[in-house]
Amino acid sequence: MLTIALPKGRLQKPVLERFARAGVRPDEEPGVSRKLIIPAGSAARFVILKDGDVPLYVERGAADLGVCGLDQVLESGADLLTPIDFGFGKCRLCLAAPRGSKVEAELGRSLRVASKYPRLTGRWFARRGVPVDLIALSGSVELAAVSGLTDAIVDLVESGRTLEENGLVVIDELLQVSARLVVNRAAYRLKVEDLLPLLEKLG
Amino acid sequence: MEPAAPLPGTQDLLLESARRLRRCEAALCDVFEKGGYGEVIPPAIEGADVFGPEAFRALDRSGRLIALRADFTAQVARIAATRLAGVSPLRLYYRGSVVRRLESGPVYERLQAGCELVGAPGAEADAEILGLAAASLHSLGLKDARISMGSTGYFSALASAAGASPRLAGALNDAVDRKDMPTLRTLCEREVPPGKARDAILMLAEPPRPQTAARELLQRAEALAPTDEAREALQRVSAALAAARDLGAELEVDLGEVRGLGYYSGIVFNLYAAGAPRPVGGGGRYDNLLGRFGDPRPAVGFSLDLDALMPLC
Repeated sequence: MLTIALPKGRLQKPVLERFARAGVRPDEEPGVSRKLIIPAGSAARFVILKDGDVPLYVERGAADLGVCGLDQVLESGADLLTPIDFGFGKCRLCLAAPRGSKVEAELGRSLRVASKYPRLTGRWFARRGVPVDLIALSGSVELAAVSGLTDAIVDLVESGRTLEENGLVVIDELLQVSARLVVNRAAYRLKVEDLLPLLEKLG
Repeated sequence: MEPAAPLPGTQDLLLESARRLRRCEAALCDVFEKGGYGEVIPPAIEGADVFGPEAFRALDRSGRLIALRADFTAQVARIAATRLAGVSPLRLYYRGSVVRRLESGPVYERLQAGCELVGAPGAEADAEILGLAAASLHSLGLKDARISMGSTGYFSALASAAGASPRLAGALNDAVDRKDMPTLRTLCEREVPPGKARDAILMLAEPPRPQTAARELLQRAEALAPTDEAREALQRVSAALAAARDLGAELEVDLGEVRGLGYYSGIVFNLYAAGAPRPVGGGGRYDNLLGRFGDPRPAVGFSLDLDALMPLC
């Protein structure tokens, strides 16, 4: 039995399509059913999670494999295998600031930065030797820069429209994000007979 | 005073869990002793230079940098290279806790037990250690265990044949370790010149092969081996595989098994057991570690992660 961590939200539909093509279909539709665990035939089951929780469920072995954005994989710091890049769910993790602000020129001084990605942000600035006052927020990160809470933000950018409408511009790109398959290290070895055929069909 | 709990990354073992740990240890020590291994009990603190950067360090009053034990193998290597120099082969085992510090996150303590075979260079020694690791898991009642074997020596040979900078070698190692084929392919296309070394590096992210099917993988890798060093590293894996018969655990070859402590120089392996979400132990050959203490002798060993094993026993 394979337990698959399925993310809620925008990744769910394309993920289910890929698994369906590989012959794994949930017995009930996750959007309709309120069940948190949905069987998929006798050989697999889906657990329905927020995408940010997928890496830890898989690392700790409560799920054998799962799908989430590369941003979540790296932000979690979880020790996982990441054998497949699905190519969908594409976006960029960017540093952005109000148009006309001097953040770029002032990367030499300490910056106030808001983000939902404190680990990735902290590491990116540390590698550049820039001291940063990091403010970890849980939503509406753009508002931090617009309202003057911080000098800049680090957040996901898909089309760039939210930034533009709020007078923010991209200053640098931290990471190119797409949906990744994540696999538990021990499950990869111990359930190899079930996993490898599935990975081949998914890849 | 605030109510005090153990620090994150540490624990109290009370009564039944203490009893369980001692039972596990007794079963393991029995296997080790029967295999001809004798116990050593190194101190809990050492000069900091014995360990790597993962050690938790402090200055003593004289200004000397000391460290809590982060790794038994380095301590056993120090003992073997000094007080037991010249006695070959040496069969030593240990049990106790190590304290380590992650790059980020708390200092943590882990319970371990393990064996070191010093002064034995050949594939027979590799097989003896693999066999002892398998027998250890068996003695704890774990039937469905797997040993996944690769070679850090092979990876280093490929990285140097490809002319990889330390940064690139690190990035390649990380991608191989995560079986991250897309990243590995991108790195190779961008930064490794086409040729045998590149093709061989791309093979590293391939899935593991069971013992019966490993020959084919190793022959294919040997055909691609760009240097004598790489060929020899693969031949060591083949020889260990051939010598390790009837282990009582499934042995598979995974050339992507490249993670290990910095001093591993040849075969390297991880141990997996049903029910544990991470490896329950691992080991490998470290032919250059004793030389650091003035007695260059080959050695091979393994250790078990008792924190990961205890819930299964």
